[in-house]
Amino acid sequence: MINQKKHFWPPSDPAVVRTELINNTKKGGSTLRTIVVSLVLLSLLIMVGIIGKVIIDGNDQTQWGYVAAILAFILSATGGAPMVAIAPLIAKASWARPISRIAHIIGSVSIVNIIIMIPILRMLPPLIVDGTRRRSIWFEAPNYSPHFWDTLGLIMLAITGMALLYSSSIPDFAVMRDSSDGIRKKIGKILSRGFIGTTVQWSKLRMRIGILSTLYFFVLVFVHFIISVDLSMSMVPGWKDAIYPMYHTMSGIQGGVASVIILSWIVRKYGKNQNYITINQFWALGRIMFATSLMWIYFFYSAFIVFWYGRSESDAAWLDLLIRGPMMYVFIIAMLCSFIIPWWWLIWNRVRNSFNGPFIGAIIVLIGLLLDRIRLYVPSWSVNPKLIHDKWLTEIPKILYPDIWDVMIFIGSISLVFLIIIGLSRILPLIGVWEIHQLNLLSKPGKFMKAHGIRVAKPD
Amino acid sequence: MQQRKSVTQEYTNSVLLNGTLETPKWWPYLVSILSFFVLVGIGLFFVQIYYGLGVTGLSRPVYWGLYITTFVFWVGISHAGIMISAILRLTQAEWRRPVTRAAEILTIFSLLTALVFPLIHAGRTWRIIYWLLPFDFARGIWPNIRSPLFMDPIAIGTYLTGSTLFLFVALIPDLAVLRDRTTGLRKGFYTILAMGWRGNPRQWKMQVVGGILLSALMLPIFVSVHSIVSWDFAVTIGVEGWHSTIFAPYFVIGAVHSGVSAVVTMMALMRWGWGWNDFIRPEHFDALARLLTVVATAWLGFTFLELLFSLYGLDAPEIALREMQIFQYPWNMLFLLFLLTGFIIPVPMWLFKRVRTNIALMFWSSIMVNIGMWLERFLIIVPGLSRKTPFVFTWESYTPSWFEWYILFWSFCWVTLLMLLFSKVFPLVPLFEQKESEVFSDSVKIGRANVPTIFREEEE
Amino acid sequence: MVIENKDRNWGMVIDTDKCTGCNGCVIACQVENNVPLNDQNKFERGRVMSWMRVERYWEGEFPEVKARFIPIPCQHCANAPCEPVCPVYATYHNNEGMNIQVYNRCVGTRYCANGCPYIVRFFNYWEPIWPEEMRNHLNPDVTVRSRGIMEKCSFCIQRIRRGARKAKEENRELEDGEITTACQDACSTQAITFGDLNDPESKVSKLSKDDRSYTLMPHLNTDPNVIYLASIKENKEEFQEEKANSHD
Repeated sequence: MINQKKHFWPPSDPAVVRTELINNTKKGGSTLRTIVVSLVLLSLLIMVGIIGKVIIDGNDQTQWGYVAAILAFILSATGGAPMVAIAPLIAKASWARPISRIAHIIGSVSIVNIIIMIPILRMLPPLIVDGTRRRSIWFEAPNYSPHFWDTLGLIMLAITGMALLYSSSIPDFAVMRDSSDGIRKKIGKILSRGFIGTTVQWSKLRMRIGILSTLYFFVLVFVHFIISVDLSMSMVPGWKDAIYPMYHTMSGIQGGVASVIILSWIVRKYGKNQNYITINQFWALGRIMFATSLMWIYFFYSAFIVFWYGRSESDAAWLDLLIRGPMMYVFIIAMLCSFIIPWWWLIWNRVRNSFNGPFIGAIIVLIGLLLDRIRLYVPSWSVNPKLIHDKWLTEIPKILYPDIWDVMIFIGSISLVFLIIIGLSRILPLIGVWEIHQLNLLSKPGKFMKAHGIRVAKPD
Repeated sequence: MQQRKSVTQEYTNSVLLNGTLETPKWWPYLVSILSFFVLVGIGLFFVQIYYGLGVTGLSRPVYWGLYITTFVFWVGISHAGIMISAILRLTQAEWRRPVTRAAEILTIFSLLTALVFPLIHAGRTWRIIYWLLPFDFARGIWPNIRSPLFMDPIAIGTYLTGSTLFLFVALIPDLAVLRDRTTGLRKGFYTILAMGWRGNPRQWKMQVVGGILLSALMLPIFVSVHSIVSWDFAVTIGVEGWHSTIFAPYFVIGAVHSGVSAVVTMMALMRWGWGWNDFIRPEHFDALARLLTVVATAWLGFTFLELLFSLYGLDAPEIALREMQIFQYPWNMLFLLFLLTGFIIPVPMWLFKRVRTNIALMFWSSIMVNIGMWLERFLIIVPGLSRKTPFVFTWESYTPSWFEWYILFWSFCWVTLLMLLFSKVFPLVPLFEQKESEVFSDSVKIGRANVPTIFREEEE
Repeated sequence: MVIENKDRNWGMVIDTDKCTGCNGCVIACQVENNVPLNDQNKFERGRVMSWMRVERYWEGEFPEVKARFIPIPCQHCANAPCEPVCPVYATYHNNEGMNIQVYNRCVGTRYCANGCPYIVRFFNYWEPIWPEEMRNHLNPDVTVRSRGIMEKCSFCIQRIRRGARKAKEENRELEDGEITTACQDACSTQAITFGDLNDPESKVSKLSKDDRSYTLMPHLNTDPNVIYLASIKENKEEFQEEKANSHD
């Protein structure tokens, strides 16, 4: 073995895996309690912020850009996470098994989006403004279609995310039922719904996870599509950008990968899971984040070059509003954090092949994602609502700074996300017990002649 | 994967070299027929140069027609090689191995063909040197680097150079095999090309590293080529339906769709023509069809976005254009045919394993996809031009002349001819990849199932 | 080749109210600039060449219909979409505000024609042929274009050069209105005015500031040097209201 740190491998004895991982959910201490209490208090800020903002700016739509940006940020940073588990599942790769639970848990916090959506529903202009229908993807649909479908989309995303988490945890609930007592045993008994691991149950479960994963992907794309168009593009006259929903989705997946890296790093470091989450996962995640960063610039540039070269009035307005206008510095930093720094950081094999390298990259990517969402949503909400029927934007709004309520909503929603994740980790092991079993069955470190490697089984 | 049959290395050598060291019965006939067609095509090209482009069916404002459509089509086909060889190599997909060589030469020959089309298309082909080469120092006039048409030859040239290198690196071990099995002049030829390959560990390592590095370097070029081709259209503000930000990724994904389909067509032909049934197996068709299903679905999503956002702006001219493209005869028939052959017929077919492993059905469905993809380009280029602006007096329809149809037919003959000549000199299925795959694959018993495994070397 | 030492910005004002749609400008341009003759075959195949064309459109509902005409030459856009796309700089902007086509450089990619939203660029599909008796009628100042290249309205650049040279020989400045284009000379109602837009005293710059003035397709931001004057409405309020409402 060349590099000792690389060859951590989960214990091959199923019983050890079971006890170690299940016991992790029971641990708790004063530190954890303090964290939970403070998170609960901080989460309340979200309500304070929303109520305060509704009272102060309840009639001025132009002030709500930051709230929309927070919604888009949370959606992008969490919604894309399950893709880290879904894509390897489709490609029959088993490296992602130790972190797929983490990915699913991050994906199931979409409830936070629904909370932020409530005030936005009030502020979002209807399709018919001043007696004329505005440009939107809803064409001749009923007046409040964006409000209805955006909310429905977020609810669908939350439900699918939770269903995916639940389905992929059923075998673990069964383990919980069999190897703990008291309240946990009861929860396990109810939630495992008689799962005892027969062949039929397994094949059904696999099919269910497969279907839910595919469904989740489509719902995710759909939600990104309608949220990006309804909450930013269609509020700006003349902004017609066919790649924008895909750009939004792609940066959402980039953010999701970053969140998975951050949570995996925390779980590995503070959850004493060094044997389960190994360098293999970080290396692969680093690669995916590198690839998605490249996709980010590609999708961005595809739009940019067309507008920049086109030079028509609406093209120039797009540049003025989103690139060189009020948000120029935000854009530059977002560009640095979403593409340039991750690119030059993650391109090095040494960086990707470590624990801290991808972690630092992930934090930078998330900062870039937040700034990118601010650059997109704040100027588009700041546009004077009287101009909404124009052919192109003639009046570029001034820069808008966040107020105290925006900051409160931001802190509150982030805390709520963490609170939900910590709460779930008290019931579910953050590393799937059955996933580790599968990993052990399907791949083994091995040797071929003089080379070290992994022997991977690919069942049909 | 279960149906794989173990073959010895001697058998591999003798069967896979049967097109190179021996001559199949049909080969001389087919080559002479194709040479005849190719020569006629070249003759017609000179006729066109002599009389002018009046021999085509082009008009004002339909200045671009079948030639440019076919140019885009062949650039699209060229995406097969890198998709299969580079991306699948980097993601370590095992089933790529027998297909790589065919995909790479398809890339090279389709690029060579694509490069010919702008020459055929230009009004003064003999002056094209102005355009391609910055050579005229005396006048101090350089080619206009702002023009996408100037970036096209640069991108295609880079891609062609890279692909040729890539092909060559992958050919070296096979050239050594050929060197050891030929005599006389041919031996001399292969000896020079094999560059002293002995197959020692250092040489293998260099070959592998070279392949991986080239794969990684080729990826951005792969994406850029079709993006730049798409920007030929997308940067133009004068044509309704062209100025769309989605064009670059849309063209690239469409190119992958048509390129991988072309590889499927080629594999079926190779299986039938040379009888390589033990090497090009139904499981490879199965894997390619799965890949195609994903690619085709993504492509359909992009098509949907492109159409949706063309209507989003609610501009009367653009809506009129789409109305013609989709509902007016004969465009409606072409559009229907495009949807049917590009997605609606082949993709549901590929959902069934029976179809995916049936070579004849795969052959016909892949041909269908390429009909659809050719029509896609045609439907983007021509209707946009014929309904260019609201000046109705300059609306014009377009019927390609027999001249243009023949040149289209010529391009297929030309690519096939090049491919057949190549097969006489070099093996079409990489021998060493086949042997490596043979060595690396194994099977393991998990429970009652016998699961095939692959050994993956770990890079340090 | 700049003869004068002066910043010119040649422009044209076309008063659509005066235009009768007689097509005189089209013929004049054809003769002046050696534009090949259009026969039936060319019309059928959509390969008509006329550097100046007159578009006809209807105004009003039946039976109160009025035929309106709008002559369209090359707009000589300051921000021309045809220029950046040419790979060989065959079309470029000169310092007199004109969009120049260099026939010798052109290789016939026809990309500029796709870029042009006004469809005023023409391609020579065949070698141009004139009837025997017309061969001696060609204008010696203008190149006869061969097959395979683009051509378009040049603002009668040969007349501009001739005028500038003459003024230089006589040691004086060019006067406003001294240079006329062929279409302007042929216009029976004097709907076309040509001159220097940079000179605030010239007739064109005064006309271009008329409140009837507009340019074609302003949403494309091409900034044309050909400026149109809208036809006069019987009702002035109606016109002003229309102008205020229309963004383009």
